[in-house]
Amino acid sequence: MKKTILITAVFFLTLTSFAQQRYFTKTAIVSFEAGTVLEDIDGLNKSTTSVLDAATGQVEFALLVKGFEFKRALMQEHFNENYMESDKYPKSVFKGKVTNLDKVNFQKDGTYPVTVKGTLEIHGIKKEVETTGTFNIKGGTVLSAAEFTVVLDDYQIAIPGVVKDKISKTAKIKVNCSYAVLQ
Amino acid sequence: MKRLKKILPVLFVIILAASGYGIYLYNKKPADLRKVNPEYELTAAALLEDFTKDETAANQKYLDKVIAVKGKVAMVNLGPKGQASVVMDSGDPLAAITCSFYDDEADAVKKINEGAEIVIKGKCTGKLMDVVLNECSINK
Repeated sequence: MKKTILITAVFFLTLTSFAQQRYFTKTAIVSFEAGTVLEDIDGLNKSTTSVLDAATGQVEFALLVKGFEFKRALMQEHFNENYMESDKYPKSVFKGKVTNLDKVNFQKDGTYPVTVKGTLEIHGIKKEVETTGTFNIKGGTVLSAAEFTVVLDDYQIAIPGVVKDKISKTAKIKVNCSYAVLQ
Repeated sequence: MKRLKKILPVLFVIILAASGYGIYLYNKKPADLRKVNPEYELTAAALLEDFTKDETAANQKYLDKVIAVKGKVAMVNLGPKGQASVVMDSGDPLAAITCSFYDDEADAVKKINEGAEIVIKGKCTGKLMDVVLNECSINK
């Protein structure tokens, strides 16, 4: 009897340890588009870090605002100095959770739609956001993709009157990660 | 009226030149850092130490500057869309130096061996967990 209990206990322990993987990346890609018909405005950050805890569904992102790359030097300058004030607010962070974690099987290859909810901090302002996305599980790695829109005003990103027709009031943000298991 | 007629062509040329310059400035791409001389040259360990000791002072010193960092390659990462990055050992197990390369440097990055000593030049964008360098290239 004791042996059965012991074996069952060990069995269940190993089961849970399988699901408790933490996934990590230092090269997640975050891009944004805030342009209009008059002007295309987009930036790309290739060194976003992210952690995904498969056991709890917790997911966190952090990026350096100065890490956004642009195709025009002036755009980069204005982005950092005028809009994001990156000297004052050098980082942007998201801390949240996958709300439908029970629908994701990290051990089975496939594409799973997910909903993520949490706090997004941009330009020093924190706001609750929710978005849908996908987790693509493939042989032990997780590829994630999500797309959502933010209203610039919500984060006190001021657009001067002179350029208000060139810069959209909202920004479309795309996030793409290729997670590996955290050793 | 005669005066105006004389000034008009000169004015026209000035306006043309000014708008030409304006368009040039507007479309100017960010500088190609491969052609820029690094402002600081130091080891990966020294760079991380500066950031861990006093992040504010290190930010003041290194942010937005082109620096050349010498260290050992811990990991080479090639993303699905052609992005290339290298992680350099800093001696600290918890924090390293992450270097994100220009897309067209990907071929050169593919040839880097893990464990190799290398000098990478790039723009310092700050510290998350690692110190992050952007627009990197291999310094010859």
